[in-house]
Amino acid sequence: MQPIISLKNVHKNFGEKQVLKGINLDIYPGQIIGYIGPNGAGKSTTVKILCGLISDFEGEVLVNGINIKNDPLAVKSIIGYVPELAELYDVLTPIEFLNFMAELYGLDESLATDRMTKMLTAFGLESVMHQRMDTFSKGMRQKVLIISGLLHNPSIIILDEPLSGLDANSVIIVKELISKLAKDGKTIFYCSHMMDVVEKVSDRIVLINNGTVIADGSFDELKQQQGNQSLEQIFSLLTQGSGNNEASEQLMNAFNN
Amino acid sequence: MNFIDKFLVYVVLLPKAFYQNMGVNTTQLKAILKTKVTLGDRTPTGIRAVKKTNQKKPTSGVSFTQIFMSVFLGVMFMFSFFIGANYVTKLTLFFSMYIFVLASTLIAEFTTVLIDVRDNFIILPKPVNDKTVVLSRLLYIVIYISKTAFPMTLIGMGFMAYVNGIWGLFVFIVLLLLATLLTIFFINAIYILVLKITTPQKFKSIISYFQIGLAILMYASYQLVPRLIKQTTLDNYNLENSTLAMLAPPYWFAGAWQYLFAFEGGFKLVLCVLLSLAIPILSIWIVIKYFAPSFNQKLAMISGTSEEPSVNKSGKIIKSTTSKYLSFLSKIFTQKGAERMSFLHTWKMTSRSRDFKMKVYPSLGYLAVYLVLLFVNNKGDEGSLTLPEPNSFIYIFIVYFCNFVLITALGYLTFSDKYKAAWIYYITPVTKPGLFILGSVKSILFKFYFPLVVVIISLAYFLLGLSAFPNFILGICNQVLIILVIAYISFKELPFSVQAGNKVKGSSFVRGLFSMLIPLSIGVLHYFIRDFLPIVILLIVLSAIAIWMMMDSLKNKTWDNIKVQSDF
Repeated sequence: MQPIISLKNVHKNFGEKQVLKGINLDIYPGQIIGYIGPNGAGKSTTVKILCGLISDFEGEVLVNGINIKNDPLAVKSIIGYVPELAELYDVLTPIEFLNFMAELYGLDESLATDRMTKMLTAFGLESVMHQRMDTFSKGMRQKVLIISGLLHNPSIIILDEPLSGLDANSVIIVKELISKLAKDGKTIFYCSHMMDVVEKVSDRIVLINNGTVIADGSFDELKQQQGNQSLEQIFSLLTQGSGNNEASEQLMNAFNN
Repeated sequence: MNFIDKFLVYVVLLPKAFYQNMGVNTTQLKAILKTKVTLGDRTPTGIRAVKKTNQKKPTSGVSFTQIFMSVFLGVMFMFSFFIGANYVTKLTLFFSMYIFVLASTLIAEFTTVLIDVRDNFIILPKPVNDKTVVLSRLLYIVIYISKTAFPMTLIGMGFMAYVNGIWGLFVFIVLLLLATLLTIFFINAIYILVLKITTPQKFKSIISYFQIGLAILMYASYQLVPRLIKQTTLDNYNLENSTLAMLAPPYWFAGAWQYLFAFEGGFKLVLCVLLSLAIPILSIWIVIKYFAPSFNQKLAMISGTSEEPSVNKSGKIIKSTTSKYLSFLSKIFTQKGAERMSFLHTWKMTSRSRDFKMKVYPSLGYLAVYLVLLFVNNKGDEGSLTLPEPNSFIYIFIVYFCNFVLITALGYLTFSDKYKAAWIYYITPVTKPGLFILGSVKSILFKFYFPLVVVIISLAYFLLGLSAFPNFILGICNQVLIILVIAYISFKELPFSVQAGNKVKGSSFVRGLFSMLIPLSIGVLHYFIRDFLPIVILLIVLSAIAIWMMMDSLKNKTWDNIKVQSDF
């Protein structure tokens, strides 16, 4: 099977700082990738390269067989991106915002209106559809963002902490939605710091640290390699060694004076 | 969208076929423009953003406000048609005012218009090509500028049409367009310059200082210019024969109008025509060719796409941000604990909160303008600056007058964008919240009042000698006392704990009136006893005792006297 996303030896520097030091990844349709790593590991840089936000990297990125440097627009139109930190024009109403998104993706108007109404209703936002989003809670904004990433029915969906701010019920809805989308043949790229969620949601986990992939495989495979532990423990072992235990000891020691 | 925005979007999208030939997706272009215009209409900008008082009501109709303001400024420009001996002079003034006002409004508001960090996440990941993004940005600027420039010149145009006929109007409009181009060049040049001398991170705060400076300058020119220039000089004022004027762009436009209107005039006017045509076109070419590429890059940097927002990653431990001077002050003048914490906290917050600076710093500037006004001699034949006579009471008046700054600062002390962070006051076991208020008030006194006082006293010392000192000390003591009383009465919330813009109008009006009347009446009383030294000294002692008592009661305010903000 041909990979839908393929990163070959991707490097990226910001000034003198090397953020990505040769990332190699092949991702296949229908996979849910849990993309994890400590702060500053290069997660969001990878995501920005995939979304076409950063174009001056070294190496090759193929999405659906298309080189992202040659035709970024073709790649952008099959990707749905849900950014972290509720970035949206909050003086617009959900309908205005989603209509804008639909027009940028070149969606047919009646189709788009139909879809967004259905999705907003499914998320319980039908009563505030025409209310400006500056009064919305974090969870409500997150729902609108998720819809904006799915509206054009993309084959690749990149989610950056998609559950932040959502209440327990919405979390269940989104988690189920993710596995249903994957069953439908869509590829999910799931970035998060919540190890327990990544452990349950994703069928392949990619761990990066200092700009390189240091672990790649299903949760079961990782457990076999690293001993029968939780993802959280594996994460800390691979990225920090025994440092976390030491740090908490130091924290406790601070009381002794 | 209102009809003006709709119309403007329609007009800029007219050359559809042309845009498509360039490789622009016009459907997306329209979508972006429509959204941007709607956003603009709902987002208050510049000084207005800070003055926005009621957050409950959604903002809209910013376009109308913008247009109304511009028309109002346009009316002010008409002043230029009533002075000067000929059209070259009148129009030089008109164009000067137009270029200055347009440039300053645009400089202040361009950042809000151009830089939207959210674009990076919302528009750029979508299948939109660069040309469409660039053109949408450009057209949006065109729409934005026309909403400012057109209403600003509308009345002037009407006047020109009425007095000089259609041809006069036509030439005037063409020259206005050229002047607008030149202004855009100036703004670009200033932006590039500011970006050269500073980091993009500091750019926004520099622009806000610029806005503050602008507000003060407007106010100063409104107050001072009419006093400095006499009417008779104005009527005979003639620029036509001045060679120096040739250096000023507004003069070119005025001269060009004069020549093109009548097709007569000397070499100088012909030169004006050439300059007014060539320079704007040349400058806009420079903007497109050289400024625009690096400009967009720099703007992207301001937008904070950079991965590392200057967090200290070197592992070196950064030294405390409390300067020696500040920690010295706090150790001497505040008590350990809540009071000192509040003192330092207020000091730092007032330096770093953009919101606070935007509200309080203009009033510092207004004060400076008033002070200059006091020294401007109105009686002379020409406006001139003279120092008041040595034994004049004016210096003591100034000490009282500085109260204006303090009251403004005090009035905004409870407000903050990050009002929710005030939970720290409520979860800590502090029994006397009055300590927070006392520390805060002391901080304001030391930061905004005492430096001013030092300046005034040293000035007075050189002019008056030591004899005026008792009066100064009494004035200062009274001032501190007044501030403490006002703080005691009106401080019902803790510093930085109330949502910015949530101001209750009634009480602030009463507070304002009350706080202006008290210092003034005490000042008047002080005036009558100023020559009786024993009384002055006695009053200093009384005032000092009162200060001590006030501080004590302020400190002892309990939680029953404080409105706890539950909204966090």
